[in-house]
Amino acid sequence: MTAELLGAWLFVLLTLSIFSFLYKDNPFYKAAEHLFVGISAGYVAVLFFWQQVQPNLFGRLWPSRIAVDDGSILYSIWYTIYEALNFISTGFGVLDRSIFPEGGIKGYEEIRMIYIIPFILGIFMLLRLIPKIGWLARWAIAYVVGIAAGLRFYAYLNSDILGQIKASGINFTSDWGTIINSLILLIGTICGLIYFFYSTEHKGVVGRLSKIGIYFLMIKFGASFGFAVMGRIALLIGTTNHLIDYSSVEYNYSTPIILIFIIICLAIWSFMDKGGENIESRA
Amino acid sequence: METIKRIFIILGSLDRRIIFLIVGLSVLIPLLKPEWVSIPIRPGQESQTVLDEINNLNAGDKVLLSFDYGPSTKPEIHPMTIALLKHMFAHDINIYAVALWPDGTFMSTQAFSEVAHDFGKEYGIDYVNLGFRPGAEAVVKGIASDIPTLYTIDVRGTSINEIPMMKDIINIKDFDFVFSLSAGFPGTTEWVQFACDPNNIPLSTGLTSVMVTDIVPYLDSGQIKGILAGMPGAAEYESLVNDELKKINIDGKPGKATSMMAAQSIAHVIIVIFIIFGNITYYLTRKNQRKEN
Repeated sequence: MTAELLGAWLFVLLTLSIFSFLYKDNPFYKAAEHLFVGISAGYVAVLFFWQQVQPNLFGRLWPSRIAVDDGSILYSIWYTIYEALNFISTGFGVLDRSIFPEGGIKGYEEIRMIYIIPFILGIFMLLRLIPKIGWLARWAIAYVVGIAAGLRFYAYLNSDILGQIKASGINFTSDWGTIINSLILLIGTICGLIYFFYSTEHKGVVGRLSKIGIYFLMIKFGASFGFAVMGRIALLIGTTNHLIDYSSVEYNYSTPIILIFIIICLAIWSFMDKGGENIESRA
Repeated sequence: METIKRIFIILGSLDRRIIFLIVGLSVLIPLLKPEWVSIPIRPGQESQTVLDEINNLNAGDKVLLSFDYGPSTKPEIHPMTIALLKHMFAHDINIYAVALWPDGTFMSTQAFSEVAHDFGKEYGIDYVNLGFRPGAEAVVKGIASDIPTLYTIDVRGTSINEIPMMKDIINIKDFDFVFSLSAGFPGTTEWVQFACDPNNIPLSTGLTSVMVTDIVPYLDSGQIKGILAGMPGAAEYESLVNDELKKINIDGKPGKATSMMAAQSIAHVIIVIFIIFGNITYYLTRKNQRKEN
């Protein structure tokens, strides 16, 4: 219960600190914002490491030695590197083993040397921190960009371009409602594309069609805006629901107490800041 | 007439903080006093399509459920997750959970702990949680081609070779249906492009409202079978699933999205009123300026 209570108080404090921005930029908001960015980055880094790098990279390079070692000298050298990495990762033997457990990482039954390439490219990526050899990071970035472009090209062509062209065709065997609907979609698609066709000046027929295209685009942006408002309100409702839950006696009235505390602090801060610089100009 | 014009111009120069306060109250009051506002939920065609797609699956069929959202979008997506799990567990469908978002693992763990016990479902036999893998579209591509290489352990650290329901799972073709609970990138688009479209696997999705207009083209082209759109979609699906559960004598509790819809509707009315007021004020102010010039 103590942990739950602490979690609730922390949730309320951070949520109301973020909401305090609606009044104006202030130290509560700044603190919550920095905390959010820092924790998110730290959490993602740790998760990436323990869910991907440790089991899937190191685990493939140095699997459990019992499963792979046939007593050859090459294996001994390979696992000496493993022990060296362990020595570095434990702060030169100060900390307990965690990343590189005794005798290799369980999960795989053979050494996959091909994974040495992503391992090296990963190290290259970190070399950005050393300006003199930072250029090596470009190799890793080039690899990632190349892979992503290659992966995306076919998928986008197949599902978005060909799939959508097929879908914009009119099926004249269906009912009138569907035919009219398809016709509007087809006109909208063609006119929208003409609007983005800059090789010809938008005059005459092209100009009129591109104007129709603008109307279709406006409808799309309007729908997107409406849905965006709906989404933000839904998130506000979810957060407000939690704040209501945490204002009960089980949570020692955390919401009203913290709300009053923040209001008092902001009032004092605003009073003291009167005539002085605001937080934005100091930043 | 002049008085009305003046009122509109005064409303137009209202401090934004007062508008925030009014919107806040329009959300808070229906949540505190739900009995004051009762709005019926009428399921739409898209929610019905999702329900029908799940109903068409047989007991023992395999569904890949992708948790592509986090705490920031939980109010919109999580209620549909809970309704979906109830529906699928009631039909004895085997669920395989993955996450393309780091915090998706939290969402899946929480959702399973809320629902699995009520339906007597066992981990590793009726459902499995494979957790998060970084790589966005590369992960989807990996699931489409070779799952054992990508997922060596589940979210509990158990080797997938030791999980009974992972025995015959090689790639996406081993699943009968895919459902993406998505709040952005990576999410539904990647499932369409890299897994379901090339392999002809039926896909449905639950989305945040912001994403709806980007995903609707896939719906019209038949690349997606039904969508649950934001909180209204979640509320509609909750209501459909509750009716479905009643048919098979399972007592369904009202879901969270249904209880939040009143607040959503009131807030929308307030925002629409402010938009209308804002436009009238803008028009009047511009007219006055032209006169002065």
